[in-house]
Amino acid sequence: MEADKDNVNPTIINPSDLPSRRRSAPTAKRAGLFDALAPAYPSLADGLSSPEASSSEPSSDEEPEEIDEQEVYDLISTISDPEHPLSLGSLGVVKLEDIAILPPTSARSRISTVTVLVTPTTSACSLTTVIGLGVKVRLVNALPPRFRVDVRIKPGTSSTAGEVNKQLGDKERVAAAMENKSLVNVVNNMLATCE
Amino acid sequence: MPTHLTHLATCSPACTTRTWLSAPHPHLPILATACSDKTVRIYSLRDFRQLSTIGGGHKRSIRSCAWKGSTGSKGESVLATGSFDASAGIWRRWEDGRVSGDGRGEREGERDFTGGLAGGENGAEEEEEDEWRFAVILDGHDSEIKSLAFAPTAPLLATCSRDKSVWIWEELEGDNFETVAVLQEHGGDVKCVAWHPSEEVLASGSYDDDVRLWREDVDDWACCALLSGHEGTVWWVEFEGADGIYALGSQEELNEEQRVYVDARLKAGPRLISCSDDMTIRIWRRVPKEKPELPAGQIKTPSIWKNRDFEEEWVEEARLPQAHERPVYCVSWSRKTGRVASTGSDGKIVVYEEKWSRAAGVANGDGDGDVAMSGGGDAGPDMEDITAKKLKGSDGHKGGVTEWSVVAELENTHDVFEVNHVIWAPRADKGKRIEDEEVLVSTGDDGEVKIWTFDT
Repeated sequence: MEADKDNVNPTIINPSDLPSRRRSAPTAKRAGLFDALAPAYPSLADGLSSPEASSSEPSSDEEPEEIDEQEVYDLISTISDPEHPLSLGSLGVVKLEDIAILPPTSARSRISTVTVLVTPTTSACSLTTVIGLGVKVRLVNALPPRFRVDVRIKPGTSSTAGEVNKQLGDKERVAAAMENKSLVNVVNNMLATCE
Repeated sequence: MPTHLTHLATCSPACTTRTWLSAPHPHLPILATACSDKTVRIYSLRDFRQLSTIGGGHKRSIRSCAWKGSTGSKGESVLATGSFDASAGIWRRWEDGRVSGDGRGEREGERDFTGGLAGGENGAEEEEEDEWRFAVILDGHDSEIKSLAFAPTAPLLATCSRDKSVWIWEELEGDNFETVAVLQEHGGDVKCVAWHPSEEVLASGSYDDDVRLWREDVDDWACCALLSGHEGTVWWVEFEGADGIYALGSQEELNEEQRVYVDARLKAGPRLISCSDDMTIRIWRRVPKEKPELPAGQIKTPSIWKNRDFEEEWVEEARLPQAHERPVYCVSWSRKTGRVASTGSDGKIVVYEEKWSRAAGVANGDGDGDVAMSGGGDAGPDMEDITAKKLKGSDGHKGGVTEWSVVAELENTHDVFEVNHVIWAPRADKGKRIEDEEVLVSTGDDGEVKIWTFDT
């Protein structure tokens, strides 16, 4: 089995060196980013959106939650690597500095974008797509639906980045993948270590 | 910008999971919605209530569905479903509401007019469930079917798949579908297929960023045109209506340049529109190969443009003003008004209108009669000049003979969810204001199908 792995000896980050809320004061201040997003629901005020549209959503979605990069990191850093019994955080596959949250592009839009750049453990990692899929599925399931999740390969880290990026950005392919039992099992195993 | 789109209704009950696409019936006031819960829901366009569910045929999400056109349907509605399970299903239902007690038993073209049930007079949309009969399953694709479409001019069905192929099936007697072509030139998933309104020409859009056109060459179907330019997956393609040119309004009072443009458009035939992951929407036009032998006034005869040469050249005529901030998943080109609606990942619905551009259209005072009808053998700007001009203007909506502008734009149409599909449909509810009024039907990741009115 060992010989089949793309990267037999990955670099492992010491858990105490991983970013966390307690030690990363700068990220706490990022909440201010969302303070600037008021008014949160202008479309309801001017009647552009039907009342039943929002009432069909869980009430937790009625008020925008303040979500910052650290929280996104916490959601995905505990995902298990598909070939090592290690987390994506400890392998450096996901890094806090490679997560960006972009606010709505206009006052009327309510859609924010989360961009995650994934660093494969080796440039030839054939499991890059699966890792990216795990990250995408985790975030789509865990974040409120107002977030668009863009998962990409960090530029310069993979020879197949373009191909993988296109697959991960294709909602139809991702949807179909999530109806493929063997792929779902792989992803579920990766996500089993998440809280 | 004034908003002219107003929410009219949401079809109910909504699906609890993602809905992909809604197809209005060719003549009945009903919609078929393809759902990720492996069903198709039939909604009424009169009261927006669900009438029935078609299920049990597919093992995975139904990605797409398409109605067979009215001609030759003999009082029977035919719906095709395309699924992530790699198969397509054909479903049938009598439109007069009369089905035998054992609906599944009668097939193979048999029609039973004797076993009538009560309540037929209100039309198909008033019936109860379970009158949809599963007719046949079409197997052949290796992976998910993304889109399918019945040809309006022949008994042909096109399907396309992640397996990079487009299949053309010919419907024979007795629910037999024969594969007449397997087209494999695309280098990636084929996302969408659409038929030309009056010719046996099929368009397909792909994950390889290209649009291809296909038609029969002697005995074999083959690619007759490659439309390259998009810088991302092509999510949707659609032809203009056969009479799309008339959306520009009266043919009177046109200036010279406009008259030449009208001639060029009539010779080229219906245009094609495509939308993409690259967030652009582009309009493509066929380049006629020959000069007309008939006077330019002799129009409406696309047959004169049939060329011996098989390959066609299509050029990007225009790019619609960019209004989307994320991938554009669908465009719909109204056959009645010529207006285009688009939607996509950003949850917006945008409506665009084509008009004579101001630069070219101010000289209307010199109109010297009815251009379309008069035999205009006069000299004037050459057709090629117009084509060249249009091409130069293709970076946007400026510089061409016509220009596209956004006439309505609405955000958050499905709350915060992505919208997968939008299409114009005839208005059929009690609030209908004018003959031929259309509504927009949008289908979203929230499982909802919403109806919108458009006001100018």
